[in-house]
Amino acid sequence: MATDFWASSHYKRWILDRATLKQARVDDLQYVDYPEQLDFLNIYFASLIFKLGKRLQLRQRVIATATVFFRRFYVKNSYCETDPFIVISACCYVAAKAEESPVHIKNVVAESRQVYSQEEYGIKHFPTDNSKLAEMEFYLVDDLECDLVVFHPYRTLMSLCGREAVATIAEAGELGIGINDGPRYWGTGEGKLELEEGPLQMAWFIINDTYRSELCLLYPPHLIAIAAIYLTLILNVTTRATLQNQAQAQSAPAPSTRRSSRTSSGTQKKAPQDIVGFMAGLNVSMSLVATIAQEIIGLYTLWERYKEDAAADSGRSAFGRSASSASAGTKRSAPSRDPSVFMGSEELSAGGTPAQPDDVVTPQYLTQLLARMREARLADLAHPASGRPVAVNKMLERTQAAG
Amino acid sequence: MDDPMRVYRAKRDTAHINVTTKYDIVGFISSGTYGRVYKANTKNVKDELWAIKKFKPDKEGDVVTYTGISQSAIREIALNREIFHVNVVALREVILEDKSIYMVFEYAEHDFLQVIHHYSQTLRTSIPAALLKSLTYQLLNGLLYLHNCHILHRDLKPANILITSKGVVKIGDLGLARITYQPLQPLFAGDKVVVTIWYRAPELLMGAKHYHKAVDCWAVGCVLAELASLRPIFKGDEAKLDSKKNVPFQKDQLLKILEVLGTPEERDWPGIRSMPEYANVKRLDTYPNRLYEWCRNRLPSNSGYELLNQLFAYDPDKRLNAREALLHKWFHEEPLPTMNVFDTTSDAQLPPRRRISHDDAPSMMPAQATQALPAGQFSQQAHLQSQTHGSAGSFASLSGGGHPRKKGRLA
Repeated sequence: MATDFWASSHYKRWILDRATLKQARVDDLQYVDYPEQLDFLNIYFASLIFKLGKRLQLRQRVIATATVFFRRFYVKNSYCETDPFIVISACCYVAAKAEESPVHIKNVVAESRQVYSQEEYGIKHFPTDNSKLAEMEFYLVDDLECDLVVFHPYRTLMSLCGREAVATIAEAGELGIGINDGPRYWGTGEGKLELEEGPLQMAWFIINDTYRSELCLLYPPHLIAIAAIYLTLILNVTTRATLQNQAQAQSAPAPSTRRSSRTSSGTQKKAPQDIVGFMAGLNVSMSLVATIAQEIIGLYTLWERYKEDAAADSGRSAFGRSASSASAGTKRSAPSRDPSVFMGSEELSAGGTPAQPDDVVTPQYLTQLLARMREARLADLAHPASGRPVAVNKMLERTQAAG
Repeated sequence: MDDPMRVYRAKRDTAHINVTTKYDIVGFISSGTYGRVYKANTKNVKDELWAIKKFKPDKEGDVVTYTGISQSAIREIALNREIFHVNVVALREVILEDKSIYMVFEYAEHDFLQVIHHYSQTLRTSIPAALLKSLTYQLLNGLLYLHNCHILHRDLKPANILITSKGVVKIGDLGLARITYQPLQPLFAGDKVVVTIWYRAPELLMGAKHYHKAVDCWAVGCVLAELASLRPIFKGDEAKLDSKKNVPFQKDQLLKILEVLGTPEERDWPGIRSMPEYANVKRLDTYPNRLYEWCRNRLPSNSGYELLNQLFAYDPDKRLNAREALLHKWFHEEPLPTMNVFDTTSDAQLPPRRRISHDDAPSMMPAQATQALPAGQFSQQAHLQSQTHGSAGSFASLSGGGHPRKKGRLA
């Protein structure tokens, strides 16, 4: 199980289609001004989970698991009928246990209060009482249908591109040192792609970023990893240069086949790898990978308009990134977040400053939006005749409740 | 402002189906550190039996409050949702209700401990070779599955290995089990002490910080030896944790092992020198290996001895793994292992059905069930059961206690 994704609860029950996701947001959609606000909420919640996770000293994989739990919870529930902040805390608490690095419930409550009360969020209500969080944990585990083992793209990234020397970066513990990965059903098993530390880190960061969207509910993690590798190959200066050289060399009859890249790998780093051959050798749907890559680019475009206080976000800058780098007028530290590379579009002005200042969305704004959504929802539930239509599909609810 | 989760809670609580709406509680099976196990039957369905493990809710005085779900419960729930194998107890569902967790498992009528008792106390004869081999084979088969899934069981012992009435072995109790694939923390960081003392591998007794699947294979060796001799092969006394929760040197248990397997040779186990307790082991008396003599009256088969010997390799890296053990020639010699372990057992020799009893801690029963079943009716049921001569085994023994083996409660 731990190796076999295809036998996992993740694959069997938690890869969803768009229609299901759309259905999950039907109620919330009634209470937002425009649908994009829901996408901003996705970014907002993920960054809150990240921040709380960092304060609790959770590893990236634990934070990723917490985020997946959060997304899964809201497949069945609405933002407007719940308190997403206590759900976030519960997700971190359960994920820490599920990933075998538990934290005390007191710490979760204390750190949650710390994070949420920061001015930039302006979240007023969070219980002081441990039992409120414990109660939420119960409901959460139930809504997750007790499926607590989650697969992440990091593993694929490391098994495809990891090097032993890389063990020093970010998360040494993420590497399966000395453990046989088992059969790789979706790949040819031929060779690895050797990435330098820079590009490897970039791919890792892109994977981190995907959790700010709902991609983890839509696609299997190995495809997300390959999309991240693909984007890295295009974006990273050195890998892009290699690709371009290879494209030029292709006109001349070159003996550079996949086989040769494999024999050269590990022995001589200077020998150019057959990157295209590596990608082609993966037995996955490239059109799906391209779709995911597009969605990641779309996420970055949206993210440009989401502004968080950089000073308070030291944890993330350790990852060589900052969501607000553009707004602060500084240079972009992470090229992965530069959508213009792909778009070459005019919508994004050269300096990376937001196109329209009015469009900027802040956490505080989103906190207020959530409060408004909930109030409106409560009012509607109390007075169903209050003009706004309450689209509750009783039949659907009953079927869902019945399992 | 009122509670923002009010609407959610109301919705969820309305949709909830109670344990006692779905199941009839037939009786109480056993209890442990983490809670209690009940025998249950699906409402209105004849003979659809389940074992419901109820985790203990924490109490503050008389008031039951929510506390976090224990690491052990999270593990058992998470792992059981992912695994499916004929030789591993299957989880049917988990019901979270009224601050308690109920895990509904498939029901198994017997367990290894109960079979051992049955042969040693009632039949007063050793377990026939065919049964012994079938039990061991199916146990290894289940273990191979767990190990392929990168799961260490870490608490294999006779009480945790169940047998259904159809004679299928089921490994139970994953409360101490862990995924070893890409751990974020070393294994010893989470649990200082693993595996019940009599079944604990020498590398654990010697304080190894890193261990692997071989600890389960050692335990299988101990179980095989216990099935063959009807008593634990290494029955040592456990040295308790001191006041600072330091793990003490398990001298007595190691001596029990040395008395049978002899003093470990450094050339057989080079890693022994780096074991934290190496100096302590050096100070012990030296013993010759007497396993062959031990087997002569208990496991009278040359290949049986060889299998046991290889499962008892001191060096964990040289110890037979589950796959190699399954391929061992002992299993390819007559009598061959059978799908139904009781194939060759006459009805008169079958171990008795699991004994159930009235719960003596009624507060742990689901509230509605206690109301639904008047006390008189219940005790009558218990009485009937006790007439069937049951030996009280423990179902999916709730591990973690200090007792090497859980004894079921007698009615």
